Amino acid sequence: MSDVSNNPLSGTDTVEIRIQGKTIKAKAGETIIHALWSAGLAQKIQTGCLGGVCGACTVTLRFPDDRPGGTDLACMRPVEDGMEIFPFPAEHIPPVAPVMNPDAGKLRAAFPTLDRCTKCDSCTIACPMSIPVMDSVLRMQKGEFQAVAEDFTTCIHCGLCRVVCEDKVKPHNMGLWVRRSLGMTRETPVLDQLLAMPADAQSDREWAYLLSTDPAERLKRARAFRDQGGPP
Amino acid sequence: MMDWASESLAKVERTRADRMRQSFPAISDAEAEALIKKFHPDFSGMERTLKIGPNANAEKFPNELADLLEADSLLPKNFKPVVDVETDVLILGGGGAGVCTALGLEGSGLSVHLATKLRLGDANTVMAEGGIQAALGPDDSPRRHYADAFVGGHGQNDPGLLRILCEQGPASIRWLNQLGALFDANPDGTFRLRSGGGTSVARVLACRDYTGLEIMRVLKDAVLSGGTQILPNHSAVELLDDGQGRVTGAVLWHSDNGQLITVSARAVVLATGGSGQLRLQGYPTSNHMGATGDGLVLAYRQACHLIHLESFQYHPSGASYPEALVGQLVSESIRAAGAQLLNAAGERFINELTTRDVVASAIIREGVEHRGIQTPNGRHGVWLDTPMIEILKGEGTLASQFPGLIHRFKRYGIDPAQQPILVYPTLHYQNGGVKITAEGRTDRPGLWAAGEVTGGLHGTNRLMGNSLLDIIVFGRRAAESVRNDLPARGPVTLSALQQFREARPAGASGGTSPQLYPSASGLKFEVSGKPVVGQPDPATRPAPPASEPPDPFAKR
Repeated sequence: MSDVSNNPLSGTDTVEIRIQGKTIKAKAGETIIHALWSAGLAQKIQTGCLGGVCGACTVTLRFPDDRPGGTDLACMRPVEDGMEIFPFPAEHIPPVAPVMNPDAGKLRAAFPTLDRCTKCDSCTIACPMSIPVMDSVLRMQKGEFQAVAEDFTTCIHCGLCRVVCEDKVKPHNMGLWVRRSLGMTRETPVLDQLLAMPADAQSDREWAYLLSTDPAERLKRARAFRDQGGPP
Repeated sequence: MMDWASESLAKVERTRADRMRQSFPAISDAEAEALIKKFHPDFSGMERTLKIGPNANAEKFPNELADLLEADSLLPKNFKPVVDVETDVLILGGGGAGVCTALGLEGSGLSVHLATKLRLGDANTVMAEGGIQAALGPDDSPRRHYADAFVGGHGQNDPGLLRILCEQGPASIRWLNQLGALFDANPDGTFRLRSGGGTSVARVLACRDYTGLEIMRVLKDAVLSGGTQILPNHSAVELLDDGQGRVTGAVLWHSDNGQLITVSARAVVLATGGSGQLRLQGYPTSNHMGATGDGLVLAYRQACHLIHLESFQYHPSGASYPEALVGQLVSESIRAAGAQLLNAAGERFINELTTRDVVASAIIREGVEHRGIQTPNGRHGVWLDTPMIEILKGEGTLASQFPGLIHRFKRYGIDPAQQPILVYPTLHYQNGGVKITAEGRTDRPGLWAAGEVTGGLHGTNRLMGNSLLDIIVFGRRAAESVRNDLPARGPVTLSALQQFREARPAGASGGTSPQLYPSASGLKFEVSGKPVVGQPDPATRPAPPASEPPDPFAKR
């Protein structure tokens, strides 16, 4: 069915990578983090989820030839021969409180650097989640917040877009501010109605049925309730 | 990209049109039970009883965990706790449960410290993909939610805890909405509800396949605006007690500088999460790097009962190729949206929306009985036919509904919209844990617990979407209980540890615990220097600003 020798990532090839002056061997196909673990260098890069969503393990990369370097997450990026790795942690900055009914004016008041964007596109290039960051900053300036919220759906708040910005624009912080502000403002009439409903005799009966004191009977009743959508 | 599997992939393509028209029968209860007993890792026999502590000579524990529960403390024998930090409430753990507890204590006037082994939010919560359950639909009710979870948990769930979980579902969603969490909506603005394995009606709210990320980034932003003092890179290595059975603080280890810090607290809340990185039986895991069961060890040394730790959840769909993604979660929602599971011959072998333990067992059966696919790295896998979603729900559905899936696999030249992906069970969730009451109290006064570290709520199999609800409901309940009944400050001693050390059998394992990090990381607990003193008092911190400081270059 499968021919191991055909696969470039079969786990037998080794590559050389460099981190802070040290050259180490790594298995082709493994991530930077796992290569560092195997080399006993785990403490070089702050690590969190190992799944590309917590944003702890930000790095910059450089190659001796003309392969493009740039920024990435060390837990997601596979090693490549000649890769040089520089830890690039981006510290949290204090949050700015979201507001009800957000608009561009309120965003500007909360983040005075909004309009300093010089459209260099560094933020977009730095984003390990492929978010169109710069375009979204331009949308923020125009108050197109639904689109901004959509853009930042996948933002892991690694902070790279902020730390590479020469003009102190804070795209991901603004993205979260927009999302939270829209979220807080969202009306939920159906949910409100549900929560306002007082407990009735029917629900008491159903609980009494489900919470039978005999453990074996309880499971039987839960099954019956599940199948019929209620007590028999 | 997956040429080595082209023969099997061709079969998948060939059978697709027929498969899409056929429904797969639901498995009977008896068949499901037999399948689990034969193939689920919980029943592989790689477990043993404990020799010491409140669970001694009773239930069995996975060998890896049993070793840690009986191991000696990391603390040097001559360590004497001398208080460095005084606080009212010490929360151990910076994931969803810990942060919800901290938010529940806002405005209480209490000083709150939250210690987290990694950074704030670097936890299993942020990795949750599929969603959060709450009975919001027209045909739904908390009773129905309860019945689904109770059946899914094999009737082993604590009925009182489960009732609270289900009844608090709608209110928890409102709380999250008020904090600004953006759940996916229908065109009419109502919350979009999905099905999950074992739900009898659509009950799962989601933010695409990044639901945990959405919840965690909102919780994190909210807690950083509050009064909680966050201590990142501070691992809890031991709990302290007053010598009379009440927990009164903890010893933390600051991994940046190797110092031990003694914290005196009137209440300690254990929110240390799960243990997937113990890699039971060599399984890969979907968990973050800190999931090493530390809280179980700490609570057990305080003689707290543990419950259902014979039961772990192996998520049916962990990635099994490419090698760099092995163990990472592929959301159950992808099956709920219509993607089928297939063996090497392109045939279905289980109804995909059965509960996780049954589906995982069925996948393992395909591997064991040589009907699965083997990756170039020698791993087992079965196909998850993701392109079906594009056919069923329209082109572009995967990219819009499951951006996380697409993003992760595209890095490796695999487009799940075009070709199926390989999955195999991955160690995902600690079903059991520290026994708690409805208020989140453990067996020891002064010690509360919330979230994945606790046991009882989910029985022996948790349903999708009930862990995100768990951390919200029980994180906040622990806070409420602490507020209502905060003990006075007590002395800090290592009495419980001393008793534990004396009870350890002569031939007990030579290791130490908590483990703190995955063994593969090579990271180790090492003490250096003197304990630090004088942490800043959160009460003296300025209130969070309504805006950033003015731009220094504004008039440039």
